[in-house]
Amino acid sequence: MTWKRICDVAEVAANSVKQFDVDGIPIVVANYGEGFRAIPPVCPHMEEPLAESAVIARCILTCTKHLWAWNLKTLAMQGETEKPLKTYEIREENGAILVNIEDELTYEFKSEDDMDDDFFK
Amino acid sequence: MKITVQNKNAELAFDCGASESILYAGLRQGINLPFECATGTCGTCRARVMSGEVDVRWKEAPGGARLKPEKGDILMCQTRARSDCVLRVPSELLILEKSRPARRQGTIRGLRRLTKDVAHFDLHLSAPMTFEAGQFVVLEAEGIPGGRAYSMVNFDTDVDKLALVLKRKPGGRFSDWMFDELKNEMGVEVFGPLGRAVFRPEEARNVVCIAGGSGIAGMMSILERAVRADHFRNHRGAVFFGVRTLADAFYLAQLSRYAEASHGNLEVTLALSDEVAATPLHAEFTALKLESGMVHEVGARVLAGRERDFLTYIAGPPVMVDSTIRSLIAGGTVIRDIRYDKFG
Repeated sequence: MTWKRICDVAEVAANSVKQFDVDGIPIVVANYGEGFRAIPPVCPHMEEPLAESAVIARCILTCTKHLWAWNLKTLAMQGETEKPLKTYEIREENGAILVNIEDELTYEFKSEDDMDDDFFK
Repeated sequence: MKITVQNKNAELAFDCGASESILYAGLRQGINLPFECATGTCGTCRARVMSGEVDVRWKEAPGGARLKPEKGDILMCQTRARSDCVLRVPSELLILEKSRPARRQGTIRGLRRLTKDVAHFDLHLSAPMTFEAGQFVVLEAEGIPGGRAYSMVNFDTDVDKLALVLKRKPGGRFSDWMFDELKNEMGVEVFGPLGRAVFRPEEARNVVCIAGGSGIAGMMSILERAVRADHFRNHRGAVFFGVRTLADAFYLAQLSRYAEASHGNLEVTLALSDEVAATPLHAEFTALKLESGMVHEVGARVLAGRERDFLTYIAGPPVMVDSTIRSLIAGGTVIRDIRYDKFG
């Protein structure tokens, strides 16, 4: 359990996303009004940078490239979304957001994990 | 040749001819292979060749920038099969029954300039085509590596003539070629119809169309269908047509006719990005409104106070489509009410 500070709560306005670097690991913080999520910086569909292309409205984060979307409260996939959103464990403390980082979360299918299924992302 | 496509959960197989792309072979047999632009620019149709021999036609296709060819990655729209092949795709696979695209020959006729960088032409087909309002075809010819997508301006069932519009892009290699080289009686290969940003009156929805430049093409087809079905008797419509200046606008007489045939329920607005609108209405076509600004901003501004009870169709250069999608979603539009085609 390695808790690291990402940013101040005040740094990410409601219904917006912002990218930070935590010891070399890029993380996007999403403020969906009712709470926060910390997620990998790209969309699991075709790696679109979410800091540029994500829009949050009514608790739903939409990647505007192809309209994959997730409810950030429940993480339910919306519409035609085919892959779940990965999230880091976070907590708020003294006006800051802390993230529990073990390893960087990615959507890559590492070839050593499954030799029969050498999928690209 | 037999092509087998697999994803994590499913496997489907289809035939592929020697001189057609793997993407087209699958689409014409009703398989919903992933794609967006069908012309090598977007990367959506990527697949990994697990076995078999293939021939990649346009190796520099921009959509292939992030692929790993050494691992067998290809763009299905740019690749032909030389033997039976097995491919992996990272998306759902289904067989669709309706409106399968097919290959035809087309002859260009009736070529005419509408503005300094917009040309309209008719494509006479070797066999009739039925398409939905808002769909497009891909044209292939010697000077167009990768092909080029065009939305149908007309709407009809079982037609052997398509009406298409072409805008010259500054510095765009393909459209420069097409624009300068296009001649009556020229032959091209035609594949289609393609596209899911379609309008059907039976969905009984209010409609908003946001078009940048030649993106107005598919909207004309949608309006034709809607007006013929008297759709605006009981539904509302709003069209936003973005151009740089009034001199760059086209199809105004036709847009005006649609507005006038719609019981006052269809508003058509020209959004001028490089010019201040001198008057609120067009001087000659008074059924058309004028506004200044980028089309997605004008649309957002005009629709701001209104209830989000409409389907929105978006077409135009990819950057414009992206900006429009962003502002619609930020303004509360749900993704299932957004329909778009993006081909660069």
